[in-house]
Amino acid sequence: MSLLEAKNIKKVYKTRFGGASVEALKNVSFTVEKGEYVAIMGESGSGKTTLLNILAALDKATEGTVILDGMDLTKVKDKDVAKFRRDNLGYVFQDFNLLDTFTLEDNIYLPLVLAGKKHAEMKERLDKLAPSLGITDLLKKYPYEVSGGQKQRAAVARALITNPRIILADEPTGALDSKSSDELLSLFKKVNQMGQTILMVTHSTKAASNASRVLFIKDGVIFHQIYKGESTDRQMYQKISDTLTLLAQGGDK
Amino acid sequence: MKAGFYPKMAIGGMRKNGRLYVPYMITCILMVAMFYILHFLGFSGVMRGMAGGGTATDMVALGSYIMAIFATIFLFYTQSTLVKGRKKEFGLYSILGMNKRNIGKIIFWETAITGIVSIVVGLLTGIGLSKLAELGFTKLIAVPTRYEFSVSGSSVVTTLILFTVIFFFIYLNTIRQVRFANPIQLINAGKAGEKPPKANWVVGILGLVILGAGYVLALKIEQPLSALLWFFVAVILIIIGTYLCLVAGSVILCKLLQKNKNFYYKTNHFVSVSSMAYRMKRNGASLASICILITMILVTLSSTTSLYTGAEQCLNAHYPNEIGAFACKYGYDDNLPSQGERLDEILIATSEENGATVTNNCTYFVYSISGYFENDRLEVNLNSLTNMAFIDYDKVAQIQFIDDDDYNRTFGHSVKVNPGEAILGTAKKIDIGNEVTIGEVTFKITERFDDKVSEIDSTAGAASPTIYMIVDDVDAVAQKYIQYEDYNGEPMLAWFWYCRFDTGLDVDGQIKLAETLSEKIKEELQGKGFSNYYCESHEAERGDFISTFGGLFFLGILLSIIFLVSCVVIIYYKQISEGFEDQARFGIMQKVGMNGDEIKKSVNSQMLTVFMIPVIFACVHLVVVLPIVNKLLMLFGLFNFGLLLICAGVCVLVCGLFYALIYKVTSNAYYKIVS
Ligand SMILES: Nc1ncnc2c1ncn2[C@@H]1O[C@H](COP(=O)(O)OP(=O)(O)OP(=O)(O)O)[C@@H](O)[C@H]1O
Ligand SMILES: [Mg+2]
Repeated sequence: MSLLEAKNIKKVYKTRFGGASVEALKNVSFTVEKGEYVAIMGESGSGKTTLLNILAALDKATEGTVILDGMDLTKVKDKDVAKFRRDNLGYVFQDFNLLDTFTLEDNIYLPLVLAGKKHAEMKERLDKLAPSLGITDLLKKYPYEVSGGQKQRAAVARALITNPRIILADEPTGALDSKSSDELLSLFKKVNQMGQTILMVTHSTKAASNASRVLFIKDGVIFHQIYKGESTDRQMYQKISDTLTLLAQGGDK
Repeated sequence: MKAGFYPKMAIGGMRKNGRLYVPYMITCILMVAMFYILHFLGFSGVMRGMAGGGTATDMVALGSYIMAIFATIFLFYTQSTLVKGRKKEFGLYSILGMNKRNIGKIIFWETAITGIVSIVVGLLTGIGLSKLAELGFTKLIAVPTRYEFSVSGSSVVTTLILFTVIFFFIYLNTIRQVRFANPIQLINAGKAGEKPPKANWVVGILGLVILGAGYVLALKIEQPLSALLWFFVAVILIIIGTYLCLVAGSVILCKLLQKNKNFYYKTNHFVSVSSMAYRMKRNGASLASICILITMILVTLSSTTSLYTGAEQCLNAHYPNEIGAFACKYGYDDNLPSQGERLDEILIATSEENGATVTNNCTYFVYSISGYFENDRLEVNLNSLTNMAFIDYDKVAQIQFIDDDDYNRTFGHSVKVNPGEAILGTAKKIDIGNEVTIGEVTFKITERFDDKVSEIDSTAGAASPTIYMIVDDVDAVAQKYIQYEDYNGEPMLAWFWYCRFDTGLDVDGQIKLAETLSEKIKEELQGKGFSNYYCESHEAERGDFISTFGGLFFLGILLSIIFLVSCVVIIYYKQISEGFEDQARFGIMQKVGMNGDEIKKSVNSQMLTVFMIPVIFACVHLVVVLPIVNKLLMLFGLFNFGLLLICAGVCVLVCGLFYALIYKVTSNAYYKIVS
């Protein structure tokens, strides 16, 4: 059975004054297997963030179902959604979403504190995680005292520390320079190799070429997907570029 | 740049931040209005007409000073909250090419507009409210026109000057903050938490010391009126101490809570403790402001309610019998005792002619002399007093000599005093040894009758300390003080004659009788060099008492409402401004996996910790100042500490409930904003 299964997802945004509504997602279906590293690409405004938000239960689909590990996400009660999210999902935001009131350490602890974990356990988990993310020396600092790349690494730590079933990342490299991006991508690769499932939205071909599969979304539907299979990053990069060119020309498959 | 550019920028900026600026302006306006009203009541003499109005006026004048200090501290802090939020904007301006001068101009206009609007609207509000108070006075308790309120030019001017100065300093402070930061620092300023003040422990200890000094001073003051200056100093010390303690205390508390890992990393505490730490100084300051306002409310309310409820008792203390007469003459005169007897006879005869049955007659006279009482010695020689470097007004005392025969006859006792001896009694806590020297004459004290002093005068000790001395031969004693004169060349020695009795007449009869008796006394004493004489009836004074105390009560309510409104505004402002700050944060927390219930719980936990503190502090303050309040009430003739305690208790309860309500409503407002 797949870890994540999205079936016929449709999302219509009603504009505020009852004017024209926007159909952000028309009919999206796909599955993610356990241990996979999936990238989602598409033009700006194609509905990637919308999709990710629905998968993360941050937003509700107009139609369709999302099943995570056998649980129907659309049926989780409102009051349990938050708990569900912090127990099962790790979300990495494009703009980090770290809290200025907390040190990086406390920011990373936040989901565990909300889950009611003991401090000793939290510390143990972080001690294991911090070195591989290279943030050991930064833990006592506040978000406004560290660089964007460092912030994003802390945000990744916050997503990873709950041992989530799946990591959802929305353009995690979007606010980073190429060096920080590379670091983050190799980090994702590393955690993926340790068995962590990742679903990442990205605009960067380079980022996507790390993934084991790339989904292309256009006009609210999955337009195409390519598997990495045995190909190298380089070959994958080429495949993705070709597909994107095709997409831009508006051609069919 | 075009003229009018900066004012436009300023108005634009204020409008953009309207949700914070509006509550801030309201706060400023109320501060101005409140100061105006207090200054007006305290300095324009509107209340001088009331009996005891002098004391009330002094207290309100004191209140206006406190208000001025309070407003300064408070507005500084609120302003710094506001600036913190705006720094990002200023940073952006400077990145877009504005220099510090230009930004300074925008700040100038913003402060100027805020200042002008606050002062003008505040003054109008203040004048309006005082008019409203006038209506209240006249309509509610039918007090005659002497309470009439008007606009006081000097109060307007003082308010104008004070707040102009405050706003000017606020302007300088803002400039300072923006001047010494580069654009990036400015942009990040909104995010950064407050740094704990350097040497926080020192601040905390200093605060405790100052607070302690204020407390000690407050508790030591025996005569609040003569030591008004010290009383004021005590109040100021308490206020400053409260601020320092609460600011340092809130920093220390946050640090301690964060250090305790098992406490800190709990769902309920995690978010609340960290956001408290994030604005620990500001928190401390606003808590101190709330605490001081609550204390003022409690003190005002409990003193005036106990006055109001104790009015009847107070009346009885002042006028223990239906009819009371008094006469006073300076110097010594052989004929005075017989003059007293004749007055007594006239009064009783006239009363009986008018259909009264005289009972409980209590007639006596004393010789009185005032001086400086120290080390069992009363200094009555003004020349040596003038040479003293320091005069402690608590030691100015009045000695009243009463003849033992007179005392026994009038009060139904049987004491015996030998020449050179005296029985001494006083309602004040004065240390007195076995021998007392009055002027140059030394008396051996054989006995004390402190517990029976109230028989002579139930209001004893209201003003300056009175020491009663029962002597063998009051005439002989009095003659030893003939030579002392006061600064006006008048004799220091005075003869006081008292007569009081019940009549069995109805209310009108009593009032009419008192008038008749007044005439008779006047006929008898006119032209004989008496400085003062009168006859009063219990019933005629009742109306005066009720209206005076009613007036004071109303004044107390009025002031409490003013304080309360400012308290509400402060709490509301605090909640709203913090709500907007926390909004984004709670958004993030929801994304990370916090649900509505957990947010609500953590909001509640934060509020509860923060909001219990000022109440507790205010109660401690109240307990410390209650003794002074009690002494003040004595000046009005209320001698009932028990009643004051009960009133204080009820006030704490009522205020506590009200506070809980405010807390509930404002934390709902906060919750609405963040969720
Ligand atoms: N809250 C909303 N209300 C109305 N329309 C919305 C809302 N959020 C997104 N949309 C619309 O839905 C469409 C998809 O938006 P979405 O944010 O998912 O795009 P995206 O693929 O993430 O784009 P980008 O790569 O720029 O982040 C867009 O046309 C957008 O305008
Ligand atoms: Mg997006």
